[in-house]
Amino acid sequence: MDSVGWEGDSVVQRYIARERDTHREPRVRITGLMMQYHEVCTRELWFFSRGVDIDRETSNIQRGTHIDETSYEGQRRSFSINGRIVLDMLDSGEVMEVKASSALEAPAKLQLLYYLWYLDEILDIERDGVLAYPAERKREPVELDADSREWVEESIRGVIQTVERDEPPELEKKPYCDSCLYQDICWV
Amino acid sequence: MTKPNHHIFADGDLKRNEGTLRIDTLDGETEYLPVESVDTLYLHGQITFNTRALGLLNEHGIPVHVFGWKDHYRGSYLPKRDHISGDTVVQQVRAYDDPARRLSIAEDFVAASIHNMRANVRYYDDKRGDFTGALNRLEGLKQRVCDDDRDSIDELRGIEATARKAYYRCFDTILRDPFELTQREYNPPTSEANALISFLNGMVYTSCVSAIRQTALDPTVGFLHEPGERRFTLSLDIADIFKPLLADRVAFRVVNRQHISIDDFESELEGCLLSEDGRLAVLEEFEKMLDETIEHPRLNRKVSYKTLVRTDVYSLKKHLIANEPYRATERWW
Repeated sequence: MDSVGWEGDSVVQRYIARERDTHREPRVRITGLMMQYHEVCTRELWFFSRGVDIDRETSNIQRGTHIDETSYEGQRRSFSINGRIVLDMLDSGEVMEVKASSALEAPAKLQLLYYLWYLDEILDIERDGVLAYPAERKREPVELDADSREWVEESIRGVIQTVERDEPPELEKKPYCDSCLYQDICWV
Repeated sequence: MTKPNHHIFADGDLKRNEGTLRIDTLDGETEYLPVESVDTLYLHGQITFNTRALGLLNEHGIPVHVFGWKDHYRGSYLPKRDHISGDTVVQQVRAYDDPARRLSIAEDFVAASIHNMRANVRYYDDKRGDFTGALNRLEGLKQRVCDDDRDSIDELRGIEATARKAYYRCFDTILRDPFELTQREYNPPTSEANALISFLNGMVYTSCVSAIRQTALDPTVGFLHEPGERRFTLSLDIADIFKPLLADRVAFRVVNRQHISIDDFESELEGCLLSEDGRLAVLEEFEKMLDETIEHPRLNRKVSYKTLVRTDVYSLKKHLIANEPYRATERWW
């Protein structure tokens, strides 16, 4: 049994306790991608958490991967932490998240905030972040303040709730369904 | 976007050449095959290959189907899975082990299969004969699958066999003379029409193996067929849905449009088989068919027949893990 209490924020507190303890695994391992999916579409998150395979060779994914791999080369280094999150650290010390487009800004921001939150809560490292859209020549500073902390923790509760469901959240038409990798699974 | 399949008929060596595939045929010719542009590789000739070549195919997730003497299916080399999902396999086996769920999935396969047989017969009704009897019979059998309660898979298989018999009886009339199909026979096929259908059914089967490989489903655990059979039984299940849509329509096409003739077959002691030229002609039509597209009512875009096999498998997988309805592909177009 965890030493942390079960009341109030227990879900998040338990998650933090488990992540801090190198010998224990949380029931749901939360990656940055899962935080993103939670914000975009909980149904997508559910399918992803069940290991539903998707075609990663679509042009959208390839474009994103290419932009991520070729931007700011030499100015940043990738870190994998606890085999859980992978983040890019700039030489200046900021955590950078590179995105192909700013079309889905909130999910990208949440992903980056989760990294900052994880560094702070689990590893005691305070950092600022920057969201970069090289194709649009845009950069946006991102900081972990009280509001964004609350947003991250609310989302952690949401992710765990979604993943622990036996059946996926109901089908719902969204504007970006047509370009989603899970389109063929959701709508067929 | 789906990529094309590639068939190698020549005898020779298949090698890795840096980041691509190279084929040196015994005739002294060299062909390069850009590995990124291949969906599935079919080896029909006597091909030598090594682990380096397999490694490259593995990296690109390309399955290889191997055919031996007279194009008998020998087996498949399947690439390492990108996604392994124990959860999916557990759900699949649970569904198999629950008699009611197993039966319900098997009924979906059979209902769709009969529906698709009937769609073919309806197309040729009046065009090449009067098929009213067969149409009614198939309609009735499909109703029985959907309406009746049953508790055995055997009974369901019986209905499927009856439907297939009624369906194959129409072939003799549909196929232009001198092609005849008085009885469906395989192992070995005893006539030209039987040889043609067997060859095409094999292609549908391998297409299903490829599609299932793209999910984490276990190809050996089927629902209508018994897992004890030597083949991938889930592929056999899915293939039954697609045989009328792919194999039989290509068979009607190549015969009735005279892309092949009776001379494209060789009869030997062990049965009747397509000649190499015949196989090439049939495969050309089969690959064309796989790439043909139709408007999908729920996906809001055109999908190829090849994609349709994949989405059918996705739908089954979704049913198994999420308990949403499985929609076996029934011809709607």
